[in-house]
Amino acid sequence: MDLARVALPALRAFVIGSVGAFAGSLGIAAPAAPASAGATTPPAALSFNRDIRPILSENCFHCHGPDKNHREANLRLDDRDAAIADFAWVPGNPETSEAIQRILSTDPDEQMPPPDSARTLTAAQKETLQRWVAEGAAYEAHWAYVAPTRPALPAAAAPGSGAIDAFVDAGLARAGLPSSPEADRRTLIRRLALDLTGLPPAPADVEAFARSTNPEAAYARLIDQYLASPHYGERMAVPWLDLVRYADSIGFHNDVTLRYWPYRDYVIRAFNQNLPFDQFTREQIAGDLLQGSTPEQRVGSGYNRLHRISGEGGIQDKEYFAKYAADRVRTTATVWLGATLACAECHDHKFDPYTLKDFYSLAAVFSDLHEKGAYNLSGGFTRENLSEESLFTTAKEKSQMQALEAEIAALSKQIAAPTDDELASERAAWEARIVAAHQAGRLAWKPQPPLAARSTAGTPLAIEKDDHSLVPGGENPRHDTYIVTVAAPLTPVTALRLETVNDERFPGADVARAGAGFFIAEIEISGAASADARPTALRIASASANLGSEAGFDPSKAIDGDLTTAATLNRGSGGGFAFYLAEPFTGGPDARLTVRIRHSQAHPYQHLGRFRIALHDQPNPDPNPTGIPRRTLDAMLKPAADRTDEDKRRIAFDFRANAASLKPLRDRLNAARIARDDLYQRLPSMPVSRSVEPRPLRVLPRGNWMDDSGPLAEAAIPEFLGKLTASDGKRVSRLDFAEWLVSPQNPLTARTFVNRLWRLYFGEGLTRTVEDLGSQGDWPSHPELLDWLAVEFRESGWDVKHVVRLIVSSRAYRRSSVPPPGVEERDPLNRLLARQSRFRLDAEFIRDNALAVSGLLSPRLGGPSAKPYQPKGYYAPLNFPRREYVADTGDQLYRRGVYTHWQRTLLHPSLMAFDAPARDECTTHRSTSNTPLQALVLLNDPTYVEAARVFAERILRRGGWTFEARLDWAFARAVARPPTAEEAHLLRQLFEQQRARYRADPAGARALVSTGESPVAADLPEAELAAWTAVSRALLNLHETVTRS
Amino acid sequence: MHPSSLSPEALTRRAFLGRSAAGLGSLALGSLLNPALFAGDNGRWKGVLDQLHHPARIKRVIYLYQAGGPSHLETFDPKPKLAAMHGSAMPESFTRGQQIAQLQGTELKCYGPQFAFQRYGKSGQEICSLFPEIGSVADDICIIRSMYTEQINHDPAHTFMNTGSIIAGRPSMGSWLLYGLGTETEELPGFIVLMSQGRGGQMQPIAARQWHSGFLPSRFQGVKFQSIGDPVQYMQPPAGVTSADQEEIIDVVNQLNRRQHDAVADPEIATRINQYEMAFRMQTSVPGLMDLSKEPTRTLEAYGARPGDGSFASNCLLARRLAERGVRFIQLYHRDWDHHDDVAHVKYKAEEVDRPTAALIRDLKQRGLWDDTLIVWGGEFGRTPMAQGKGRDHHIKGFSIMLAGGAIRGGMSYGSTDELGYAAVDKPVSVHDLHATMLHLFGVDHTRLLYRYQGRQFRLTDVFGNVVKPILT
Repeated sequence: MDLARVALPALRAFVIGSVGAFAGSLGIAAPAAPASAGATTPPAALSFNRDIRPILSENCFHCHGPDKNHREANLRLDDRDAAIADFAWVPGNPETSEAIQRILSTDPDEQMPPPDSARTLTAAQKETLQRWVAEGAAYEAHWAYVAPTRPALPAAAAPGSGAIDAFVDAGLARAGLPSSPEADRRTLIRRLALDLTGLPPAPADVEAFARSTNPEAAYARLIDQYLASPHYGERMAVPWLDLVRYADSIGFHNDVTLRYWPYRDYVIRAFNQNLPFDQFTREQIAGDLLQGSTPEQRVGSGYNRLHRISGEGGIQDKEYFAKYAADRVRTTATVWLGATLACAECHDHKFDPYTLKDFYSLAAVFSDLHEKGAYNLSGGFTRENLSEESLFTTAKEKSQMQALEAEIAALSKQIAAPTDDELASERAAWEARIVAAHQAGRLAWKPQPPLAARSTAGTPLAIEKDDHSLVPGGENPRHDTYIVTVAAPLTPVTALRLETVNDERFPGADVARAGAGFFIAEIEISGAASADARPTALRIASASANLGSEAGFDPSKAIDGDLTTAATLNRGSGGGFAFYLAEPFTGGPDARLTVRIRHSQAHPYQHLGRFRIALHDQPNPDPNPTGIPRRTLDAMLKPAADRTDEDKRRIAFDFRANAASLKPLRDRLNAARIARDDLYQRLPSMPVSRSVEPRPLRVLPRGNWMDDSGPLAEAAIPEFLGKLTASDGKRVSRLDFAEWLVSPQNPLTARTFVNRLWRLYFGEGLTRTVEDLGSQGDWPSHPELLDWLAVEFRESGWDVKHVVRLIVSSRAYRRSSVPPPGVEERDPLNRLLARQSRFRLDAEFIRDNALAVSGLLSPRLGGPSAKPYQPKGYYAPLNFPRREYVADTGDQLYRRGVYTHWQRTLLHPSLMAFDAPARDECTTHRSTSNTPLQALVLLNDPTYVEAARVFAERILRRGGWTFEARLDWAFARAVARPPTAEEAHLLRQLFEQQRARYRADPAGARALVSTGESPVAADLPEAELAAWTAVSRALLNLHETVTRS
Repeated sequence: MHPSSLSPEALTRRAFLGRSAAGLGSLALGSLLNPALFAGDNGRWKGVLDQLHHPARIKRVIYLYQAGGPSHLETFDPKPKLAAMHGSAMPESFTRGQQIAQLQGTELKCYGPQFAFQRYGKSGQEICSLFPEIGSVADDICIIRSMYTEQINHDPAHTFMNTGSIIAGRPSMGSWLLYGLGTETEELPGFIVLMSQGRGGQMQPIAARQWHSGFLPSRFQGVKFQSIGDPVQYMQPPAGVTSADQEEIIDVVNQLNRRQHDAVADPEIATRINQYEMAFRMQTSVPGLMDLSKEPTRTLEAYGARPGDGSFASNCLLARRLAERGVRFIQLYHRDWDHHDDVAHVKYKAEEVDRPTAALIRDLKQRGLWDDTLIVWGGEFGRTPMAQGKGRDHHIKGFSIMLAGGAIRGGMSYGSTDELGYAAVDKPVSVHDLHATMLHLFGVDHTRLLYRYQGRQFRLTDVFGNVVKPILT
């Protein structure tokens, strides 16, 4: 990479403040008297970054800062020379410093910040500013904008302690705080397992560790074990997916589902394989531009395509290009630079040196991406528009695909080869036959009245007399087969049409009972020549559909004799499948046909909605309701002289689709297309980055996308961070940018990442504002440690597992989370880490933990997103199409939370209740709330009730023979410790009371122990099982169970 | 710390905002050490504002959100000139350089109002004759005819109307209110959303983002009550579990948690205990609340509600019941106002909303809830004075909303659009102005309800917003 020398003339040497020297800025109270914040007098020399910048940034920079367009009185306080030139500060003389006098003034006209600004300085802050001016008003460059260098370890570090403990202990010593002892081993192993894998420890590991005679070595082995576990990658993926706002749906308006999950699996693999973070960065920003890029790397480049997109009618490309570009800048800046750039879309940043121009320069880095703004009309969600790529194809699959594409091309050519003239005589005969059939009233499909209709699941099928259709009613069963008998008076019957009728009573594009469509595994037709005759099976030669099908679900799947394949029909009115009989069927006037419609077992609930059966008596009728496309028929009915060119083209086109002479070619072409689509469907694909001619991108004044008056933006990094030279000498590419992100010249990436890692293991970052290392960011509790870790991270080759290991090996990490006496009052936010933290598990891990404890968890890695149980009707606000959520089956119901289907506009309510973000925007940290809805989820969500009853079953089968043994067994799994006598007593009471109650109510017991899809343990006494289910529910609801301490 | 300082950090309890409350700076230290400042007995959140900026006029909002973009020209904004120009070209002076949605690249023609307007009440407010019931309370309502917004497509326009921002992830207005003022009930969420659907138009989807708490903790999220299945997700105890069983289990969980609390003194555990108690109270009170069958026939008829039908009328009646029980922000979405194809279909909407809206107003007055309730009636944008076939396209430059309640001057029309109903020209009111006014009525200065996130103090009104004082009593 050709990186220009990063020139930072304005930045002065970065002086690291000493931890605890001015404890007040960290909220640490003085030892003697607990006091309110800011009342402490700083004992040591002031540091601009630690003590002064936060005051100025919060209270002054908004109007007297970097944003030149909104600077009041043309005064800036973020630049020392400018501030002194305007006499805001007179170094050494607070009395004549204008700014100090304004700050001290009580005159509303004079006072700064102005009374209407909602900003006020505390007395201590005013005092600090005066002292700072008196001491010379020295400035420092903002700490985070100076590249970190490795600081020396504190001199007093205890021998043998690592850097982390050296820095943390030094901070505690300076503040005179004692620290907590190491956590007890059961707490520690549970903490470690949850932190590293998001899953509870195996009970055997807990016991072994608790009894180990060499706990140091055993602990180190546990770290190795958990870091090597494939579940480590799943755990690490969760916060990363929040950052990059990964989801399964597009997020705007109709929020359709697209396939993005290969990216999620890429992230999991990257963490598991410990892909160096610099390479991880390159692959995501520019994986497609890497020399000889692999499919894996191009999936990584899917990062650039994860933002929300819209296909709402009436939106404009230009507006949405601007929205997507801004989203990418906001996200990329926050993920890698720890910067909040949203505001610079409209104006220069108020607190940091990022300018409006910088915002659009960053946007321009990505302007070479192939994409659409409006994914509607011709810009729809096609493979081409989305730049989808089939990925991970084997050489064999690749050659298969190529062969099929070649065959399709060749056959298409052959079909097109005979000229219209060559086909003219055949066409004339075809036309004559069609017109004659039409005039005889025999062209259109003829709907037949149902004589009988039933369903294997007992679904009532009401007959609509007006149009001969059938309407399923009642509860939608999981699986269903419809058996319908219709009159068949035609002679002969050549084909049968299964017609869908749109009906408002059904979701799913109005033609299916649930989900987005219906899936038919198999159609079987039998015929009886008269009312008394025995029906015989009729062979179906071929099938077609008039509205097309999803790839892999073409009509032939309904007649292939294979119940595991299924056919579906695209949405739209007048849709239908035509099934062509191998031999025409002829019966008497009361002949009848019976149609068996077997729905796909793999698509539960997704049954046909309103439908009817129509018959035809002509050979090879078109699958359209009219038997031929309406407009073609109209054209044919005109005298030859009146036909327009369009009419002629239409007739010729439809003829080729029907010509008997071309049928063998057509059949082969159709088969090849189906084979290609099937193959494509099997290969994971997703939108990835593809570089095309960069789109010109302008600086948008006030962020207004309709204003073209701004200058063209050139791809660049923010100006104050240096200048990047394009490696091709022309334009800074995404790859150039990615290389800069992970270069030593960039002061932000390593700090940003290690700070967020720290948060995973302590509950807060060293800088608590993990989203913002800028001027408004939080002053780090341990600045040297943050820099030490950042440098260590980079110099280790961006080795994530190495840094994780350093952190979880530290004594600071291993401390008990119970504070030592007196410390809570002095350091309530635990900034100096005298103890570990306790915090609630993230949404996904609450689920994982319950499933793991119960034994239900599927350990399977990766693959399509999973749909666990979800309350009925939750998707009612969705439309275009309307959708009904259909839960998965089998082990897909018990997948880890990281795999849960992420519907942005209506996220799964149990995830949402536990603060999982919609992932519309980059999320650096989730809030951790504590609400009644969470209680309702843990108490009543079938996922947790089922987990409890399966847990109960295992307790009974494997937990021993006494109540005590069983409770011990259960506690070991739920909280990795034995119960206290008191806890055992309370739970025994609950157990006995519940057992008595369920003995008297066997139906209630049966209902409870049948929750969910898992097989019911019919061999166990129901009341016993129900009572243990109650105990298990209590255990899964404990604060301790959902808390990592 | 100055006692009247309204810095939210100062009044924030860690146990409530959780470990990630980015706003929790060193300033919070004082309150953390002073248990007297800990809000929320029994787990009830009392809000970050310990004292209001000025006396409050209202305690709650009932927001009748007409989703899809109601045509102002067929509801509240009479335009005889437009009727006169029906069918002729829309003067380019109005439309040049302005954003257009589905009418892009088409010839723009004037499309006259499809229904007559009529004067109602002593005030003589002009209202479309499709809405005689709303007309019958004309003297109680204030029509703002000069609203404008910034987003022309449904999804972003809803987001802007609810959060004041087009960037997702910002808190909705109801969440801001809960964060600032807390809740008044321990039995129900303080911010409840109901949804109904109409007929005759395009039913646009609505994202949960519209009632999300964004960067505020999720305890301030709106809770959507459903018309299908459980009214609140996961409200129903599992099959085979009675309310008494459930109480038993909650009781044991709380006892076990209390012992844990004694051992480790984590305030989060105390909060958890309160939340379980509140969950149980909700579980007990919600089913009765949602059951309209005990309402007198007279009341049901006044609203046009049939118990269990999930209609806008039933939701209006539920809104009154929620208001009585202390819910702070009640938002009713009525979908299907997107009249691209045929704006005459507003008549179906009128059948659905006219009577219940008026009934709600009368009911609140009767029950003494009128004085401290604000009713808002309106959508995310308006519709073009230009034709889209027989319909109208999305329109952002001018539209109408209706406000009502004891703190609002009734019988008043405020502001106006130009003679063709295109742009708000007289006293334009922005979405931020609406938000500022709403907060003002709650006793909150919109510039001083703040939350620190991403290094800056955020507010519902961003850096904009003026209170629309002339419409207030």
